Amino acid sequence: MALREVIVSNAAAVRKRPMFPLCGRGIANNVNTVDASEIELFSRLSSQWWDEHGEFAMLHKMNPVRMEFIKQKLQEVQWEEGTCSASSSATPLEGLDILDVGCGGGLLSESLARLGARTTGIDASEANIGIASTHAVRDPQFARSAKSLKYLHTTAEALLAEGKQYDVVCSMEVIEHVNTPSEFLHICAQLVKPGGHLFLSTISRTPVAYALTILAVENVLGIVTPGTHTYSKYIKPSELLSFFQEYPTRFASKTGEHGRPWITRLYNGLPSRKEADVRGLIYVPWDGRWTLTGRSSTSIDFDLSTLCNYIFWVRKPNGSV
Amino acid sequence: MDANTFSNRVSSLTNDSCQFLKDIGAWNYVEQRRTCPIEEMQVWDGISGARINFSAADLPLQTTEMSRMTENLNLQRGLLKHLSRIPEVQLLDNVRVTAIEKEGEANGWPLVRLSNGQTFRTRLLVGADGPNSPVRTFAGITTHGWAYDTHAVVATLSHAPRTPFQPPNTTAYQRFLPTGPIAFLPLSPTESSMVWSTKTALVAALKSVDPSMLVTFINAVFRLPEVSIRYLHDLLLSSVASRKALTVDEVREEILWRERSHNISATSAYSSALSAGEVGIPPEDSEFLPPLITSIQPGTVASFPLRYSHADAYIGDGGRIVLVGDAAHTVHPLAGQGLNAGLADVQVLARTIETALLQGGDIGSRTALLPYTRARWFENHKILSAVDKLHKLYSTTFPPVVWARSVGLEVINELDTIKVALMITAGGGGGGPRADGSGWRWDVAAKGLENFNSTADTAKVVGSGLVNVVGIGLQRLGNALSQVGRR
Repeated sequence: MALREVIVSNAAAVRKRPMFPLCGRGIANNVNTVDASEIELFSRLSSQWWDEHGEFAMLHKMNPVRMEFIKQKLQEVQWEEGTCSASSSATPLEGLDILDVGCGGGLLSESLARLGARTTGIDASEANIGIASTHAVRDPQFARSAKSLKYLHTTAEALLAEGKQYDVVCSMEVIEHVNTPSEFLHICAQLVKPGGHLFLSTISRTPVAYALTILAVENVLGIVTPGTHTYSKYIKPSELLSFFQEYPTRFASKTGEHGRPWITRLYNGLPSRKEADVRGLIYVPWDGRWTLTGRSSTSIDFDLSTLCNYIFWVRKPNGSV
Repeated sequence: MDANTFSNRVSSLTNDSCQFLKDIGAWNYVEQRRTCPIEEMQVWDGISGARINFSAADLPLQTTEMSRMTENLNLQRGLLKHLSRIPEVQLLDNVRVTAIEKEGEANGWPLVRLSNGQTFRTRLLVGADGPNSPVRTFAGITTHGWAYDTHAVVATLSHAPRTPFQPPNTTAYQRFLPTGPIAFLPLSPTESSMVWSTKTALVAALKSVDPSMLVTFINAVFRLPEVSIRYLHDLLLSSVASRKALTVDEVREEILWRERSHNISATSAYSSALSAGEVGIPPEDSEFLPPLITSIQPGTVASFPLRYSHADAYIGDGGRIVLVGDAAHTVHPLAGQGLNAGLADVQVLARTIETALLQGGDIGSRTALLPYTRARWFENHKILSAVDKLHKLYSTTFPPVVWARSVGLEVINELDTIKVALMITAGGGGGGPRADGSGWRWDVAAKGLENFNSTADTAKVVGSGLVNVVGIGLQRLGNALSQVGRR
């Protein structure tokens, strides 16, 4: 639903979009991922980002649940490692550098900054960055300490080229809008500090997801502009898991990195709790809110809770570069 | 304030509300000597005399009280003291809001301009500003509702203390008359508050008469059969209309005569014409009625109009504004639910804001506030309409309706545990909106239905064959629900 990481338009990549997004191995030398048309769509919608009744109403409602998951995972790791900081419960993310890739109107970035994180929101659409900055400026909470929240009209590649790394990289509802998801993941992964965290939320490629996110929401109910989602770009949780089982070794030829894979192995189709996690996000219409499902106990292939929207967390091994 | 003088505006705080005030630490600052526990309630039908009594002793709880009466002033003083001790809270007094404006364009924040020249730009503006809420008007939130053709007369009453042979003055009384209910609410052993809602024309007359006359009327209205009360009302109205002053003695004479013709014994508690406050063995039926009033505290007689109203939304269209309490809803005072509903609003709103803060949300945003509306609007709507229906049900003198409501009341009175469920629903339970043990409430209901067979006889409304079928069916349903509730 949200943004779109652009990275140099590559017409060929657009045309030859692989049917199963993460299966394509070959990555062109000149990095790319994007879709100019996606950027154009979201630039057109940008003025609606903060209209809680409009196009992005569902995203507004999803935000608290995503924040809850991010907070939970970070705290879990802190407890496990005994690095529980003394930061007050009001600002549990104090001291963390967080990058929000494809920040859109800044829904997630603002929340991260409120919880104390030094947040950087980037977006390939200048209009989005304009909306996000204008919105933040009107909020005295951000106006006072400009350090806590900044927006940049740039790409993840550009930040990578500058050698930037972050404790946490988030990219919410973005990967289903990029052209070469594996390349996109590779870039995001490199932006994470060793021992840091990567959070993604997206939509699974299942008939259920098609029925709900495209047929119902776009075509029948008309809540979201038709064309916002492309079914073939959806990614299954199992594809993300297998990507990180092979990562970074599959990119070894390019990076020369032969570190430990981010996910060492799956246990009955599930990753170890300390390495990665997948949770379903389910909208409960009669409650008017999203819920985060519990940890699955069956193989991710048979997990009904992640048939549509889901959120994914993976941790970069400490020894990595 | 003098320990024996009480303000005329009082409220009943349910156990839920008291617990909330204790949880936030405000209860410590409320002067306890000026609060009074209600341990029992006697409610009866003004026409048929059908009666229901609620007792805290029936509640499966440690507490012995159903609710607690206190003057609004006492509560406000306590809350202000509590606020003044919280460093993050800044109280401004002697300041008026001169204007509320919207900042700039569509989604601008509200600007609150004050008479001292200050302007506040508010992330969230809470409208707790009463039935005519300027905040609600600013937000353009519409309300639906209607004015009742009744006003409530309030006064602080003095009476003799209850004797050692009687329960203490901790029983609230309410009699439903076709003109509206009259309630007696204890404040101390010798002082109680009255809320008498009655027709608008009568209110003006009652406020114009001598206090000793009003005392006579109040005592009679709790006791005489409805037909005689109607006569007394007419007497009063015609004397006002003809400007021929009625004397207290004339009215007493009239009441005495009526008591005799109604076969009310002079030694019964239902007799009000005799001199009040005699010490001795009280009449057998004295617990059914409030003590005889001896006087009214000077300056405490007042009246206010009664309205039913409910805001169509609790949140402003673009967020930034939220309504609580009377700004969101007003209700007939007969069930004492107005303030309690408001406190529950505040409790849920506080929790909603806390949740939003923990998730890094913008507490003024519509999305952050939606759970508040979802938790409260329908809940309040239920209370409001139940009270409204109750008021309408008891406004009629139509015999079949009077019969049906009387039977209903008596049946409920026999089903102890159903009564408990009613009391809990009304907030007497002490669990609060947070209570997780909903299971035992259903247990209570199921247990009550076990008694269904024996008690339904009293009502003589259901054929005995049907009783078994219905009783057993309901009991099974109750048990099933309690199972579900426990999970």
